[in-house]
Amino acid sequence: MNKLLLFLAFSLIFFNAGAQNRFFTKDAKINFNSSTPLEDIIAESNQATTFIDIDKNEVVFSVLTTSFKFRRALMEEHFNENYMESPKFPKAKFSGKIISPIDWKSEKQVVVDVKGELTMHGVTKEMTIKAQITPGKVKIIASSELKITPEMFNIPIPSAVRDKIAKEVTIKIDAVYAPYQQ
Amino acid sequence: MTKRKFFRILLWVFVFGIVIAVAAVYYVFNKPRRNIARETAAYALEAKQLISDFKKDETVATAKYLDQTISVTGEIKNIRTLDNHSMVFSLEDQMEGVSCTVDSADVVSNLSKLSGYTAGSVAKFKGRCSGMLMDIQLINCVPE
Repeated sequence: MNKLLLFLAFSLIFFNAGAQNRFFTKDAKINFNSSTPLEDIIAESNQATTFIDIDKNEVVFSVLTTSFKFRRALMEEHFNENYMESPKFPKAKFSGKIISPIDWKSEKQVVVDVKGELTMHGVTKEMTIKAQITPGKVKIIASSELKITPEMFNIPIPSAVRDKIAKEVTIKIDAVYAPYQQ
Repeated sequence: MTKRKFFRILLWVFVFGIVIAVAAVYYVFNKPRRNIARETAAYALEAKQLISDFKKDETVATAKYLDQTISVTGEIKNIRTLDNHSMVFSLEDQMEGVSCTVDSADVVSNLSKLSGYTAGSVAKFKGRCSGMLMDIQLINCVPE
């Protein structure tokens, strides 16, 4: 029985891979900005991994929190140790479904809504995010912008620095996907 | 006279203290980045070993390797240059291997070594482990 299930699972994987319906990149760019007039807080990572399944209209996005680079080494340290608690929660992840109509055969840019769950700092929140997607046969270009607050994800900001960090953090995402062949 | 002398000493101690405090705050605030090239690796191992450690138990491996300077040796399967001119070398497997990112400044200073690498060459990179997504990521890498 177990062998049969395993066989089914494997054949499904192979079937999917053959159908060329998944696109991926491991070098997606995520940056966020929580600057205030008192302090510029900008960080960027080029190491996000993301997949799009164009049959199921599903998107998965994940990034390691320690891969974010800040202008100051001290900010990086505070971000990882005090705010994100990276050793405990090393990843941030979004997985969702494109709920607006999208024609993967056209090569025109469209704006879509992606509904899904964003998990970071051990907290999962349901969100609907707007994204620009340009479909294509050899590559798919996608970008998005979303706003979150540290409080949504139980990230405490000490009152001593509360004025230096923006109430709302803007996260920008840029990804160029290539077909996934395995 | 002795009273005046006492206050003069006190004033100097005070001024000196302030200078040290300001210097300390300035240093901490502008703390230099870790220089991976100058650090000795906490772990030196084969890329295959690192991959199997993470596949066996991700939580244990993350606790052990996260933020540590690691030196890995493995076969290059894929080389990419990113928009920001940093380079990524995937060892052992493009999707589920070890990805070593060399920052643009380190690409420039190690250009002769890096340009000699092609898919198939065996290389050694030292970098800081930031954990595992599909692959294990080492950042701020330098070739060794």
